[in-house]
Amino acid sequence: MLEQLLIFTRGGLILWTCKEIGNALKGSPIDTLIRSCLLEERSGAVSFNYDAPGAAYTLKWTFHNDLGLVFVAVYQRILHLLYVDDLLSMVKQSFSEVYDPKRMAYDDFDETFRQLRMEAEARAEELRKIKQLGKPVTGSVKKQGQVLKAGLEGGNKRVGEGGSKKDDGDGIKGKVSNLTNGHHSNENHKLGDDSQEGDLANGKENTSSNVAVDLSKLQKLRSKGVRGRGGVRKADSIGNKSSKVAAAEPAKKATKKNRVWDDAAPKQSKLDFTDSVDENGNNDHVEVVAADQGESMMDKEEVFSSDSESDDDDDDEPGSDEKPAEAKKKGWFSSVFQSITGKANLEKTDLGPALKALKERLMTKNVAEEIAEKLCESVEASLEGKKLSSFTRISSTVQAAMEDALVRILTPRRSIDILRDVHASKEQRKPYVVVFVGVNGVGKSTNLAKVAYWLQQHKVSVMMAACDTFRSGAVEQLRTHARRLQIPIFEKGYEKDPAVVAKEAIQEATRNGSDVVLVDTAGRMQDNEPLMRALSKLINLNQPDLVLFVGEALVGNDAVDQLSKFNQKLSDLSTSGNPRLIDGILLTKFDTIDDKVGAALSMVYISGSPVMFVGCGQSYTDLKKLNVKAIVKTLLK
Amino acid sequence: MDNWEDMKIVAEQWSKQGIEFVQQIPPPQLYAAIAVLLLATIWLFSICLFRRTKFNTVLLSGLSGSGKTMLFYQLRDGSSHQGAVTSMEPNEGTFVLHYENIKKGKVKPVHLVDVPGHSRLRSKLEEYLPRAAAIVFVVDALEFLPNIRSASEYLYDILTNASVVKNKTPVLLCCNKTDKITAHTKDFIRKQMEKEIEKLRCSRTAVSTADITNDFTLGVEGEVFSFSHCHNKVTVAEASGLTGEIDQVQEFIREHVKP
Repeated sequence: MLEQLLIFTRGGLILWTCKEIGNALKGSPIDTLIRSCLLEERSGAVSFNYDAPGAAYTLKWTFHNDLGLVFVAVYQRILHLLYVDDLLSMVKQSFSEVYDPKRMAYDDFDETFRQLRMEAEARAEELRKIKQLGKPVTGSVKKQGQVLKAGLEGGNKRVGEGGSKKDDGDGIKGKVSNLTNGHHSNENHKLGDDSQEGDLANGKENTSSNVAVDLSKLQKLRSKGVRGRGGVRKADSIGNKSSKVAAAEPAKKATKKNRVWDDAAPKQSKLDFTDSVDENGNNDHVEVVAADQGESMMDKEEVFSSDSESDDDDDDEPGSDEKPAEAKKKGWFSSVFQSITGKANLEKTDLGPALKALKERLMTKNVAEEIAEKLCESVEASLEGKKLSSFTRISSTVQAAMEDALVRILTPRRSIDILRDVHASKEQRKPYVVVFVGVNGVGKSTNLAKVAYWLQQHKVSVMMAACDTFRSGAVEQLRTHARRLQIPIFEKGYEKDPAVVAKEAIQEATRNGSDVVLVDTAGRMQDNEPLMRALSKLINLNQPDLVLFVGEALVGNDAVDQLSKFNQKLSDLSTSGNPRLIDGILLTKFDTIDDKVGAALSMVYISGSPVMFVGCGQSYTDLKKLNVKAIVKTLLK
Repeated sequence: MDNWEDMKIVAEQWSKQGIEFVQQIPPPQLYAAIAVLLLATIWLFSICLFRRTKFNTVLLSGLSGSGKTMLFYQLRDGSSHQGAVTSMEPNEGTFVLHYENIKKGKVKPVHLVDVPGHSRLRSKLEEYLPRAAAIVFVVDALEFLPNIRSASEYLYDILTNASVVKNKTPVLLCCNKTDKITAHTKDFIRKQMEKEIEKLRCSRTAVSTADITNDFTLGVEGEVFSFSHCHNKVTVAEASGLTGEIDQVQEFIREHVKP
């Protein structure tokens, strides 16, 4: 059953809500939808899931871009309503006929809505009946699940009626309540399959293929005489085995024997050529002048040539006209005509070529393919049905919309004033802890030193913690930086547990009054399960103030994978209710890419966290802030 | 080249004819015509200048969820209709405030703009600031303390914006949702905001040579910040968008957009 259907303007005023369904929505699903989906340029997605204490909703939406209206339908996630998309489009059509910008109340729409809803429900039921007749064997997983449950509970009647999709169509309240009760009990039993069901609800096209696989598995389990619940347990135990195997591997790695070359006797001399230093980092032998290389680039104003938009237009022409020349000739003439009259409503077919060209351009700028695709879908969703203003071409409208979207994505969602946070922590007399995470070789230690230098310039006392206890030379590297910057470093050597080292470092910092602790961790691949577990243990144990993901600007499509897997592992393996995810991004090696700045966009889009620093060189002053306008300009050039 | 010389000859002929024509007109008429032309240009010029200094735009700004859209519709229609959700776009309108509809006589319409408070849409504010005659900064008096940092940062950014400082735009700190019992008083809110802005001032002016985000700094050196230090007038008021108690806001708007 539909929980709520809202119509509101893009400016925020609610024009109409369904008054028949009087249930108040728990939490604030609409606001969350707007903030985390529509404003994040994910409006091309199919649906949005919202969890509040006491309710789990799914939201679907559609836009009427011409009038600036948004139509949102909310329903319970456990019910897979089929008619929602249909209903939304019908409501859109009929409401746009009634809509008047001056009118604020639309009470007469209630009647229209009721009729539309009944129509949609009836149509959905017909469709389902046809499907049922055509495919009696394959139903949804839930249907089969219910067959199993029937075995457990003996509710033979329900089996006869069919799968869950029946609930929506039946207006008979008795059955609905029974089924909902049944659903709740189902929920308790089926732990493992819950997420699967959610996926099925969204990917309707994939339903049949998924179902086929699951059915065969279930049949096998059933034939072995394992009950439904036991089947789930079995799946869980299989999962455990694989992780156990993975955990066993690092234990195998004993101490490494030194390799012997040319049958020579193994030399016993130490291979450590670093200068001897005592604990505080003071060096007796070498006079080290505190590195003072001037102002960090973080604080310098970025001067970029503000070439006018005419540049963009000129580049636009030859780029877009090159490839589909013949097919566009007729289209070009009509588009010119339309641009002068300016009355055409933008359709998907009109936007198609312009968006395709834009997507290609983004991909040449090293934006991940998936991200470019999603962005184009989102821009398409926001432009479809809009009236072209006169004297504008379609491509320039699309370009303007894309520019808007990019600025919106790259603008941080919250303030990234680290100094302010440091001051706030200082008042509470605890150190501000920053953890640098990332894959191998992106520049964590180098950029950690740059951040330390910048903080020092702002009169903040910094301490480094060497929690990279795996890579040879990592501790010495940090020690060298600490010596040059004259800041204390906390280290415990190699082969120690990084989480414990970090904890002790923070305690030391509280003791000697450092304002900031910068924790360096070892680089790890996002697929490496035991290492990711170690990382999440470090973060859970120490609860840092800022988890900074260090990513290099050279990365291409892998950025999406890295960030999403890191976030996923951090949230899965978290022990507390509120998992700590990646709070910010540090983009490194920015000087090596000329104008292929797409990695910044991919990373920000996929994780939602802002870019806090940009590393653009290998000396201490090469740390900048992200200049949103410059990046957007470069991306769309 | 021949064409060019032909055209020169034709032009010369025309100018001769023009001069003859002008000389034929009796002097008073000529002077009158010139005078009228001069007056017309002076008049247009003064209108342009005059218009430029007299804005009638009032900005409604503040954090997301503070109640700007509700206030906008209260000011416009006298009722907040069926509620509002997070705005994705600004609400603009030029209209006579609702409570003034009953007044007779000529009342100048106000151009009211409700700018979305979501941080991703913060750049829209920059477009409207140069033309603002007055700014109403809406604060949620109910959920004040959890959001005080972001609210004070936003207010700080507005108060140190170049256009606001240059035009000495008056700012009204409006405490919304005062119809609820647990809402804070306006004095409390004012004091807390002053404290937070003082902290911001310290952390941002400590790096004043390095600071590029804010064009100007606030307040007097050495003294704790207070709203009276601002060159533009900052006042505090209470309001409730839901019930419609918006008198103080309306007075403020009317005061600064002269009818």
